Amino acid sequence: MSFYTFVEGPLLWIAGLTFVIGTLIRIGLVLAVSFRTDKIMYEHFRWKPVLSTFFRWLLPLNKDVAKNPVFTLLVYVFHLCLIVVPVWYSTHIMLWEESRFGWYWTPIPDRWADWMTLIVIGIAVFFLLRRILSPSVRLISTFADYALIVVTALPFVTGYFLTHGTLQGVAFLGEHMQLLHMLSGELMLILIPFTKLSHFVLFFFSRAATAVEVGRRGYSI
Amino acid sequence: MAQEINPQAIMEFLKPRMGMRLKTWMNICTHCGLCADTCHFYGPSGNDPKMVPAHKVRFLKDLLKKKGRVDRAYLEQVYDAIYHECNMCRRCSLYCPFGIDIASLISLLRSLLFFQGIAPEGLLKAIENYKVFGNQMAVTQEDWLDTLAWCEEETQAELVGLEIPVDKQGARMLYTVNAREPMFYPQDIMEVAKIFHVAGEDWTFCSESGWDDTNLAMFCGDVKTARSIVENTFKQADKLEVRHVGVTE
Repeated sequence: MSFYTFVEGPLLWIAGLTFVIGTLIRIGLVLAVSFRTDKIMYEHFRWKPVLSTFFRWLLPLNKDVAKNPVFTLLVYVFHLCLIVVPVWYSTHIMLWEESRFGWYWTPIPDRWADWMTLIVIGIAVFFLLRRILSPSVRLISTFADYALIVVTALPFVTGYFLTHGTLQGVAFLGEHMQLLHMLSGELMLILIPFTKLSHFVLFFFSRAATAVEVGRRGYSI
Repeated sequence: MAQEINPQAIMEFLKPRMGMRLKTWMNICTHCGLCADTCHFYGPSGNDPKMVPAHKVRFLKDLLKKKGRVDRAYLEQVYDAIYHECNMCRRCSLYCPFGIDIASLISLLRSLLFFQGIAPEGLLKAIENYKVFGNQMAVTQEDWLDTLAWCEEETQAELVGLEIPVDKQGARMLYTVNAREPMFYPQDIMEVAKIFHVAGEDWTFCSESGWDDTNLAMFCGDVKTARSIVENTFKQADKLEVRHVGVTE
């Protein structure tokens, strides 16, 4: 089996399963620990403050948006494009259709995918610069904080180069952009359950815990 | 108080108290820095990066990483940070995208330090008062009731028919005060009595411990005493079968 076949076959399976199963295990562990150590949260659990906090923070309807409108809106746009492109880009959907699953769903126009990819890259660069240049953010940053921005941006950079033939003339990069794109995507998928990239699910537990306590006193956080 | 620091004791203290919530909050902080300009220590300090709320919990992570193997000088550093960088107001939690409750993490560190005998002296003195007298200012029950009696007398001169009820069974509200009120600011008690009288409120004080609604034990992480202080008020509220407990301020 060539390295290429390995990357587009077994390694893709490994990455996908690591992502799905790893995330499920992480959720399971959080729940299991909470049943043991945070019983009081369950005694006072109410759906209203919990759903309210999810709604207000998944959408830009919270205090952060009011206080830091530019930065917060960039964060929302970044995340929106981050999720939409990999899932609704035409070529990705084509690959799903050709796979053993045979799944298909309506793609977004390729032009939209192009723009959203550039937006992700642009905002990622902004995040990186902000983290390097702002003294307050720099002080609290760890190596992982910088690295994960790069890890997240790489699939988008390589994806854009791949679809637009950028760097085609450049020896190794030009010939293997597809490989690099797949590897960077797989790297991100594998890292998600083991790093702060898990914040996409831990968000719900973290917010729910605070909402239950604050919601008891009638305040919507 | 030159006791040896026992790393195992520190870990045995921290580990069971790091439940799912605290652990998740510690792990999920993405170091986004949105908490920075929400903190009233950060702004007035001239945007000192060390005052970013996310930075203030650094010692908790460090202690766990070091497995409690620290010396007293280290704990003095922690004391400096958690008493002079944060007063657990939770404003940062309102703006944190993950709703991280930094105050709870600081409170845990204060509890740990209290467990190791480190806390502000003034607070330690007050805790002794709570234990012996049931209130922060060492007011005896006799003095408390005396104060209420002459407050009633004084205000009756202004508003005829005014009463300051004590231990009124079945009142709608049990009113509690800051212990400094009977001690230094009895006019606050008189003023609130006037308001309740004019508003026609059905209220009462309690004669036994539970009338002080301050909780300095909570500030320095003495959870046990903090609990018993609040329990006193609950017991009185239960005993008098009131519907609400009113808190001064």
